[in-house]
Amino acid sequence: MSASNGQPLLQLKNIDTAYGPIQVHFDLNLHVHAGEIVCLLGGNASGKSTTMKVILGLVRPLRGSVLFDGRAITGLPTPQIVRLGIGSVPEARRIFAQMTVRENLLMGAYHRKDRRAIAEDYERMLTLFPRLKERLHQRGGTLSGGEQQMLAIARALMGRPRLICMDEPTMGLSPLYVDRVLGLIQQINAHGYTIFMVEQNAHLALQIAHRGYVLQNGRIVMEGNAQALLNDPEIQDAYLGEKQ
Amino acid sequence: MESFLRTFSDQTINGLVIGNIYAFIAVGLALIFGVGNLINFAHGSVFMVGAYVGWVCMTWWNLPLAVAFVVVTLVCALVGVAIERFALYPLRGAPPIAPLLATIGVSFMIDQAVQLLFSRNPHAFPNPLIEHRFQVGGVTVGAIDLLIAGVGVAAALTLYSFLRFTRWGWALRATAQDREAALQMGVNVNAVNRMTFAIAAALGGIAGLLVGMYFNTVYPTMSFQATFKGFAAVVLGGLGNVPGAVLGGLLLGLIESYGVAIFGATYRNLFAFIILIAVLVWRPNGLFSLKPRVTQEPLTGTFIAKGRPVPTPKWLIATLIGVAFVVPILAPNPYLLQILTNAWLLGMVALSVTLVTGTAGQTSLGQAGFMAIGAYASALLVLRLGWPFELSMIAAAFISAILGTLLVFPAFRLRAAYIAIATLAIGEIVNQVILNWEGLTQGAMGIAGLPPPSLLGWQMIRPHEIYYFSLALLCLAALVQWRLVRSPLGRTWRSLREDEVAAQAFGVNLNRYKTLAFGVAAWLAGLSGAVTGHMYTYISHETFTNTTSILALTMVILGGMGNLLGAIVGAVVLTALPEVFRGLADYRYLVYGLTLLLVIRFRPQGLLGTD
Ligand SMILES: Nc1ncnc2c1ncn2[C@@H]1O[C@H](COP(=O)(O)OP(=O)(O)OP(=O)(O)O)[C@@H](O)[C@H]1O
Ligand SMILES: [Mg+2]
Repeated sequence: MSASNGQPLLQLKNIDTAYGPIQVHFDLNLHVHAGEIVCLLGGNASGKSTTMKVILGLVRPLRGSVLFDGRAITGLPTPQIVRLGIGSVPEARRIFAQMTVRENLLMGAYHRKDRRAIAEDYERMLTLFPRLKERLHQRGGTLSGGEQQMLAIARALMGRPRLICMDEPTMGLSPLYVDRVLGLIQQINAHGYTIFMVEQNAHLALQIAHRGYVLQNGRIVMEGNAQALLNDPEIQDAYLGEKQ
Repeated sequence: MESFLRTFSDQTINGLVIGNIYAFIAVGLALIFGVGNLINFAHGSVFMVGAYVGWVCMTWWNLPLAVAFVVVTLVCALVGVAIERFALYPLRGAPPIAPLLATIGVSFMIDQAVQLLFSRNPHAFPNPLIEHRFQVGGVTVGAIDLLIAGVGVAAALTLYSFLRFTRWGWALRATAQDREAALQMGVNVNAVNRMTFAIAAALGGIAGLLVGMYFNTVYPTMSFQATFKGFAAVVLGGLGNVPGAVLGGLLLGLIESYGVAIFGATYRNLFAFIILIAVLVWRPNGLFSLKPRVTQEPLTGTFIAKGRPVPTPKWLIATLIGVAFVVPILAPNPYLLQILTNAWLLGMVALSVTLVTGTAGQTSLGQAGFMAIGAYASALLVLRLGWPFELSMIAAAFISAILGTLLVFPAFRLRAAYIAIATLAIGEIVNQVILNWEGLTQGAMGIAGLPPPSLLGWQMIRPHEIYYFSLALLCLAALVQWRLVRSPLGRTWRSLREDEVAAQAFGVNLNRYKTLAFGVAAWLAGLSGAVTGHMYTYISHETFTNTTSILALTMVILGGMGNLLGAIVGAVVLTALPEVFRGLADYRYLVYGLTLLLVIRFRPQGLLGTD
């Protein structure tokens, strides 16, 4: 997409992370340019979600730095990072179950002050997600899994982020919904949103991504263009074989 | 029939009015639990602060009632924020039981501060409203009833609108539902926490003011009762459920009101404790939940900071024991011996706590109840049946072990924080039963004229005699316990503490080992209670209160959980400290509360380390 000119929007440099005595990341390096869809692939417990948490400031790395737009955001409190323009579609969606769909959507714009623009974005979401429009006053917890995923994405968009981090957005969805979510991600990206997503399903993720990284036991073992990764025999053995 | 109906409807009004106040308290507790996943033991203290601030406004400054409301709201909100900021915020990330214990420390400190400022004695609270009572369709309603109802409805509407329609209200609800997701929406959850404390404390303070006006009196012990009435109401409604808390409060008020009409006024406080335990055990999600709540983060884990016990060589322990035995010879000061005797007797209770809580991981705040059972059992055996003390003392320990275990048994399914509340309630129930079972216990009069402890005809009257006796008992208890925790039984207990589920998977019968732990602990606490009772020669339902239970736990935390020497050192330090610094004796509970706070924050493994 729009050029690898200049500095990346997001950059992780030499990240080491640990939970107590258990080290999760070993010298992690990756970057995302504005306008890209970048996916982080890896099996269970390889440290994918932890990467998201490090970016969002939910977990503090032992070493290394996270740069957003060239600025170090390592160690900043999460709300501040969110205000800088990083939105999140968390693992397992994390919809506010007792709040209505409308309230969930508006919570996405919690950190914004521009009321008029929020109202516009809200209307836009309702056109983009007609299913949500029909369910505005229903509690978030009563939506189906696929609808919740839509809501989580819409909620993230409500924050007008410059980068959206998505943790396994297709997890637990039916094939129909998986396609819709992937299509949606491409659509959002076409609107100019930069996307960094974590996926276990390498085959699907690489179909829409521009670039990808493969994480194994906390180390990046491979990186490159989506097409190149798709054709890489090693990836095919390790990830595509079992998934498809 | 006519008069029955009248009484019934009057009791209903009464119950609803009191219930309204309980609802105030309960809503605050529910908010704090919802947002912070914390059971706030300091809530009743804030309630009391509200009552006293209102009293000051109206009797010292002669402010109009409306102004008093505003002042109470603001002061209490500030107190709430201060508690959050200074006692709890520094503990984020610690195991959940740590902030809970911190709130206990805070409540000790606030309660003592109020006592120091306004004395222990009750103060009359003037009723600023007209005394007239209206007759409405056969029911009498007073102006105060209407005021309480009005304030209740107004507060409920305000809170509802706040939660439903404001940005901060949304932030609060979002944080309560999913803290981490709220963070990712840009919600400053620390600020939300603090705001929640402010709201809860303001509501609690208003409740205090209303209670003061309703009963025309304010007194320092109102704090603990309020905390527990609030717990009972919250648990009835389902922890963390705000509308449930309102219903729970009203229901508790009604139950109490009818109960008092049927059984008599001295039973008033018993209902809340029984409800609390019954609901915790049989309907832990509250009465109104149809299906189990969305699972909150479980309040598992005891307050075991990882750490190693400080090495204590055998010669050091021998020296310490030696020193303890020569104290009466080197310093035959009756006052000193008295204090140390107290320390030895409380040390036995601390040993019992360190066994159930430290080794077996079941946080117990009910040891004083076991002491009371032991003391009364021994007193009655000696006075009524003419048993000799040495026999009655041993029998009392067994009675305490059996009754104590039976009482705690229904609560065995509960974990960390819940078992703490349940055991605290059990300790309180024991005292309430003592108060009300007059035929056996002489009720509020207590039992006087207990003969001093004796052994084979040797009456221990002089200070050094009882000193040696209690010291010997303590050493014996410590020795036996040391053998126990080093045995396979001890290992099984520790496996309960580390992970109940895993222990069960390895075939450990949880109930059996909890029974053993509580049985041994209640035995020891009962023995200490028996000796203490005979030493005091007088016991009543106020001799062994929850304060003693909490003190015993504080000793253990100070010394290091599960650490036997630590428990004894903790007992000596906390018993002696306020006395050594003479000036501190009046500030005893401030010292205890502060100790608890500081240890939890700066040395969670205790002085001698956990074992
Ligand atoms: N809060 C935590 N405390 C301790 N260990 C954790 C915590 N969160 C994750 N871990 C551990 O860190 C490792 C990486 O976890 P992470 O959630 O990042 O994996 P993941 O790649 O997202 O896996 P999955 O595909 O299953 O979601 C795992 O071994 C996990 O057990
Ligand atoms: Mg994950």
